[in-house]
Amino acid sequence: MSLTRRQFVALTAPAMVAFGSARPHFLANAAEQAKHNKQEKILVVVQMSGGNDGLNTVVPFNNEEYKKARPTLALSESEVLKIDDELGFHPAAKGFNDLLQENQLAVVQGVGYPNPNLSHFESMDIWHTCLRKSDNRPDGWLGRTVDSLQLQSKSDIPALHLGHRKQPYALVSRDYRIPSVKSLQQFRLELQQRESLNEIRNGVTADRPASSSLLNFVQTSTGTAIDVSQKLADVTKSYKTDVTYPETALGTELKTVAQLIDADLSTRIFYVEIEGFDTHSQQADAHAALLRQVGDAISSFTEDLNQHGHGDRVLTMCFSEFGRRVQENASKGTDHGRAAPLFLAGNQVNSGILGKQPSLNDLEQGDLKHHTDFRQVYATILQDWLKTPTDKILNGNFKPLDIIQS
Amino acid sequence: MNNLDPSWAWSTYRPEKDGWNRRIAAHLFRRAGFAASSERLDQAIAQQPDQVVHELVHVRSDSEEFRDELSALGNSILATANVKNLPAWWAYRFLTTNDPLLEKTTLFWHGHFATSGDKVTEASLMYKQNNILREHGLGSFHAMVHEISQDPAMLIYLDSITNRKAHPNENFARELMELFCLGEGQYTEEDIRELARCFTGWEIRNDRFRFNRYQHDTGEKSFLGKTGKFSGEEGVDIVLSEPSMGYFIVGKLVNFFVFDEPVPSRELIQPLAEQLHSNGGQIAPIIETILASNLFFSEHAIGRKLRSPVDFSVGFLRALNGSTDLYSLTNGLSELGQTPFFPPNVKGWDGGRTWINSSTLLARANLIRALLDRKETRFNQGSLEAMLDEYQLSSSEQIVDWWEELLLATTLPESVKTQLQEQIENGPGNQEQRLRDALHLFCTLPEFQLA
Repeated sequence: MSLTRRQFVALTAPAMVAFGSARPHFLANAAEQAKHNKQEKILVVVQMSGGNDGLNTVVPFNNEEYKKARPTLALSESEVLKIDDELGFHPAAKGFNDLLQENQLAVVQGVGYPNPNLSHFESMDIWHTCLRKSDNRPDGWLGRTVDSLQLQSKSDIPALHLGHRKQPYALVSRDYRIPSVKSLQQFRLELQQRESLNEIRNGVTADRPASSSLLNFVQTSTGTAIDVSQKLADVTKSYKTDVTYPETALGTELKTVAQLIDADLSTRIFYVEIEGFDTHSQQADAHAALLRQVGDAISSFTEDLNQHGHGDRVLTMCFSEFGRRVQENASKGTDHGRAAPLFLAGNQVNSGILGKQPSLNDLEQGDLKHHTDFRQVYATILQDWLKTPTDKILNGNFKPLDIIQS
Repeated sequence: MNNLDPSWAWSTYRPEKDGWNRRIAAHLFRRAGFAASSERLDQAIAQQPDQVVHELVHVRSDSEEFRDELSALGNSILATANVKNLPAWWAYRFLTTNDPLLEKTTLFWHGHFATSGDKVTEASLMYKQNNILREHGLGSFHAMVHEISQDPAMLIYLDSITNRKAHPNENFARELMELFCLGEGQYTEEDIRELARCFTGWEIRNDRFRFNRYQHDTGEKSFLGKTGKFSGEEGVDIVLSEPSMGYFIVGKLVNFFVFDEPVPSRELIQPLAEQLHSNGGQIAPIIETILASNLFFSEHAIGRKLRSPVDFSVGFLRALNGSTDLYSLTNGLSELGQTPFFPPNVKGWDGGRTWINSSTLLARANLIRALLDRKETRFNQGSLEAMLDEYQLSSSEQIVDWWEELLLATTLPESVKTQLQEQIENGPGNQEQRLRDALHLFCTLPEFQLA
């Protein structure tokens, strides 16, 4: 490759040519989409990656231990959005507070699991698979959920991940390749007019007798990608909403989720992520910005769903892989911790604070102890919301919580 | 696969007659670099495989002129002060270097000591770190860890630019053990807290490392079975002296160079892990053993990896003597999920099956289409048709066989080969268009995703 220095420097000029040229042309035939699944319940998972500081999200503002442990980060009674005499939301979590005021938010306190692992990656894998590293982990809890739901057809899109990161482990399924969609606009095969999609599909799907498991995985994934891109190309782009979403990645993704729910692709599970919660230093501003993004996006999303008549069939769960240390560190941040609150939003939840704030006087190596296992939350969602047996999915029997209105 | 006999696995591969051919040589270059051209394969099979590996590991083939050119280009990038321009610089290096193994290994360490320009926005710091990884990439792991642990880019990335006596920030101590040296589960939370005390007083000021002795905790620390008034450097040495270091690093190298799955068993990697532990962390001999081994040239390795986005795109161009506009390449890489200098988090790219999902698969096909459609893309400085003529490939059958040998780790089903030949002979458009459309079709095949 020959390239003079001058050419190279020219290439580094700020004006860059965007990748790809043709814009997608969606076919506006939403009416043809079957509307048969209007009654099916839908789960939306919002993953807050990095370990959310639960103690500064749902704040025990009057607690002396809290004030002592957080000399620079503690939030005072006058700053928080008061929930009751003991607890208040971080002022930036206005979205959550609004949802609570409108009886659309359950805050599950003290969620965690026994022998907590404080590695981001291992703890996240535990939340995703309900298994430990020493176990065989071929799939994730939502992948197993998809496998257990009685789906009408294999060509459905049972679950969908929206985002630019790798696919969440939770969505790895034995029977399906769950699509990951970075954006609807880019989710298509760019072809020259001369080319035929069928030719490409035929090459991909041709029988491979001596296929290795890796090759088989790629083959089925490619087939799914082509099929799903065709299906999504038919989704209407004429989705209209009066709700103004925040102009954030999460806001945009949840708006797309609302659009896909409205298009009714029989998708039962949606997954989105927001990262940056690993606040080891200078936490205050970063954490406020993150809580604002999450709260505002979910509150807009919930409002949008209600406007389109889907509010009663969508449940949104926000979780993080762990909470953070009670004592702040010398970098004005917090290190990895254990128990933290989890949030469930929707019309059908028993709104309010569920369970006690874990004690700040009885810590485990400086961290809050959990009293509610995250798999109890999963059990609730599976049993009372998605209506599917829980034991095999969770690898054990976990007592559901009283979160879903009966 | 984990029942393999380690002494067979790591013995030097001695090919049977005709066992060492262009197809097997192509496998070596896909793993030890970013694929090789037809000419390079012919050169390689004139030698023995262990000779080729020895030269890849030990002989630096990039001329001083080339390295000067790269430095000059690097400096011109730094003059833009925009970290987002660095990926194109590295892509250029991937495409043009004569030391592909060094570059591949540098990319491995970048994923291992992952640091992102998303947070470390100072381009010069990211560039400096990249040079550390290249300098030590085939040298001493211990020296590399010591440099990285005081590297401004790394400490900024890990929120560790201040470390004070009272309530030290644990982040660097945790990642040093979990992600850089030992692996999750090889230490306790208490070890992390104690090790973090060693690093108190380590600071980054004005983009430079400095030791603030007033903030250093001089007391006794106890971790990993050792007790003493350890400094930060001593803390790093104690971590490096753990036997689990060898298993962790060799395990990752085997998954990077040999197969994606499964995580190799302790028994399989024990000889190499002990070697790395006892030789003071010398990396080159380990990689040489791996690449020249029976295991590496066996069915357990060939076609048992998925192409990373860099392998996929750079390999496509290098195998076909291709050149293109670097920005369409690096933008494409981001769609595929691997922008050099911008790993997703401190754990780097997980690789393997996580490279593949519906969005990245469509993006892979679309990147090849875009490369084929761009007028800047050339093969052997010219058209695809002219290049294939130069290689005297006249029939569609020869062309498809040649692509298969050069570009694939496994063979194609006959029906697909027929389909490709049909496309070359009777597809729409002129000859160049038919060839490019056939090559696009070829690159959408599942086999092309395997490395």
